[in-house]
Amino acid sequence: MLGRFLPKLSVLVCAMAAMAGPALAADQPLKVGWNSELSGVWTFFGNACLDGARLAETEVNAKGKKIDLIVQDNQSNPAQAAAVARSLDTQEKVDLLSGPTNADVSLAVYGYAEDAKLPVLMPVAAFPQLTKPGTKQVFRMEPDAVGWGYAAVKFIKTMKSDAKIGVMMSDFAVNRAILAGLKYQAERDGIAIVAEMLFPQSASDATVQTAQMKAKKPDFVILAGGGAFDATLTRQMLDVGFKPEQLYHPYGSTKQIMTWGERSIGSYFGTFFDHNLPNLTEQGKAFVENFRKVKNYPPGYTENYCYSTVYLLNELVDKGAKGRDGIRAALREVNTKEVTTGVPIRFDQNGARIEYMYLMQLKSLSKDDFKTEKVNYMEWSPEVLPVYDLVR
Amino acid sequence: MLEENLLVVFSVITSGLLVGTIFSVVAAGLSLIHGTILLPQAANGQVFLGAGLLFWLFGTEWEWPLWLAVPTTFLIIGFLAFACEATILKRFYPLEDRNISYLIITLGIAQILSGIYTGTFGRISDTFQVTAPVNGFAIIEPVPIAYTRLIAFVLAGSVLGGLVAFLRLHRIGRALRAVFQNREAARLRGIDTLKIYRFAFLLGTAITTAGGILFALAFALDLTVGWTISLITFSIMIVGGPGSVVGALVVGLVFGFTQAIVSVFADPTVATFAYLLAMLAMLFIRPSGLFAK
Repeated sequence: MLGRFLPKLSVLVCAMAAMAGPALAADQPLKVGWNSELSGVWTFFGNACLDGARLAETEVNAKGKKIDLIVQDNQSNPAQAAAVARSLDTQEKVDLLSGPTNADVSLAVYGYAEDAKLPVLMPVAAFPQLTKPGTKQVFRMEPDAVGWGYAAVKFIKTMKSDAKIGVMMSDFAVNRAILAGLKYQAERDGIAIVAEMLFPQSASDATVQTAQMKAKKPDFVILAGGGAFDATLTRQMLDVGFKPEQLYHPYGSTKQIMTWGERSIGSYFGTFFDHNLPNLTEQGKAFVENFRKVKNYPPGYTENYCYSTVYLLNELVDKGAKGRDGIRAALREVNTKEVTTGVPIRFDQNGARIEYMYLMQLKSLSKDDFKTEKVNYMEWSPEVLPVYDLVR
Repeated sequence: MLEENLLVVFSVITSGLLVGTIFSVVAAGLSLIHGTILLPQAANGQVFLGAGLLFWLFGTEWEWPLWLAVPTTFLIIGFLAFACEATILKRFYPLEDRNISYLIITLGIAQILSGIYTGTFGRISDTFQVTAPVNGFAIIEPVPIAYTRLIAFVLAGSVLGGLVAFLRLHRIGRALRAVFQNREAARLRGIDTLKIYRFAFLLGTAITTAGGILFALAFALDLTVGWTISLITFSIMIVGGPGSVVGALVVGLVFGFTQAIVSVFADPTVATFAYLLAMLAMLFIRPSGLFAK
């Protein structure tokens, strides 16, 4: 009896499963492989980014799971990042990758993703080659660093049309890209670079160089130290008598700004998000408050990009994008606004984002907070600069 | 123009003195330990960094007064050093060829400490700037020198001076020097070498801790600085001669001034690594170390 009935039962079960299949698949959350620096030298940025992303994940999943962040640690190591990308691809079978915050790690993920045809939405990665011509899989939220140099020159030109500038930077990939954009645009805008100093990443003192810079009498100095050296450099510039209004940082993250010290009040910096921006959306204001409650400091552009990345993916899911091909196609067609600021999000044919930058002036500084004022905002197309010729 | 040139010249002097004395302090701690115990303390950079981070945590993040933040930092690191010596390091004292064992052990400890820092402090920030206990400048025309840097320099000089005086004048200091020079003879003269080993390790660690605190006062910290300082101080110890505090002082200052003077003529990358050239030049003249006995 049972023997006769079993084959019919199995056919029935298979048929039911086949019918249920598409319905189950439709309810599957988007699997995002979060390949991040949760240990190693970039720990702070990896964790700050993940904090922003987790906040967004919790919010978008409040009424049912739509986004599933599958987090793995790349140890701030490019080789490990490639291994993590492979694991997320082949073991976890994610729909796309995201999460890197460091140029070297991002480049390793880029290499894997382009080969494996796995889409990537980079939240915080400014090295231009991540969206070099011919890029098919990688899109990034952060405008490329060559443009940050361009923005610095354009801003200084508004302050003084024939300004003389000095440059003091730690020597690493992103800063070299900034310097390339800066030199390119300075030449075209009649801004003279009177001194250019690149420091090794292990530098901790710039007493002599700041005195030499003082002797060159620039109107403005572009400062971009790496890690702790940024704080030392800023303070030593002020020590030798530069006014804060003469100092410009091409980028400023929350913790970085907090180390510049009270004497830096009045200095300028570029950024992509600031909790004091007047154009924060209601969601942007809520993000700032919710983040501050958890972390005791206001979010900066790193945290915002990671928060916004998850919301962008959520929007794509809402519009019906699914699977690797669907997500990649949807990212190519994106024409939306960042949920926190309303800044446009569009990618060019290589996955580079339309360039923009806020120019801020520091107004006050305390242990856990700072106030700024927006002094300028710029938007421009990535094609304005020969980015991929300037940085190879 | 004269004023600008004077500013550069004085900045070479202030930078050379400050950087040199802080290098010397940390190298003196390392040299003391290696000269006494034959222990190449590869974790010294991480001890240095740990001291700076704890000082930042207590003094800046938790806003403790200096009189509490500084001794607490010393106590915590002293306790950890004591535990490390009592449980691991002393087991190797009977071995004659313990150098390589110690190097591997302390490299392991350095990696563990580095992992602990990234997992704890690394989640708080990427930069650790100590709030200056005193604001303002001393102006030595035309050079302004921040009081905190001046204080750091004076304290670093005091630590070195105090250490030299202790080694020359105090009974235990003289016992330490006797062990540097000849362990067997020191033992025959009734010196308890095992106790001296323990004392040297704790004293050397305390001096490294002082170096970390002074560096945090004068500059800023991130999680990579421990490895950099390790490389520099090992170079100083090798050139100065293991066990020689005077060697650490002289070579530390030479390194600091080399970096500062080369900065005037070359780009900062060349200047930062100029001390390595100075090291090669000095080793060429005296391969065993300038002040080795």
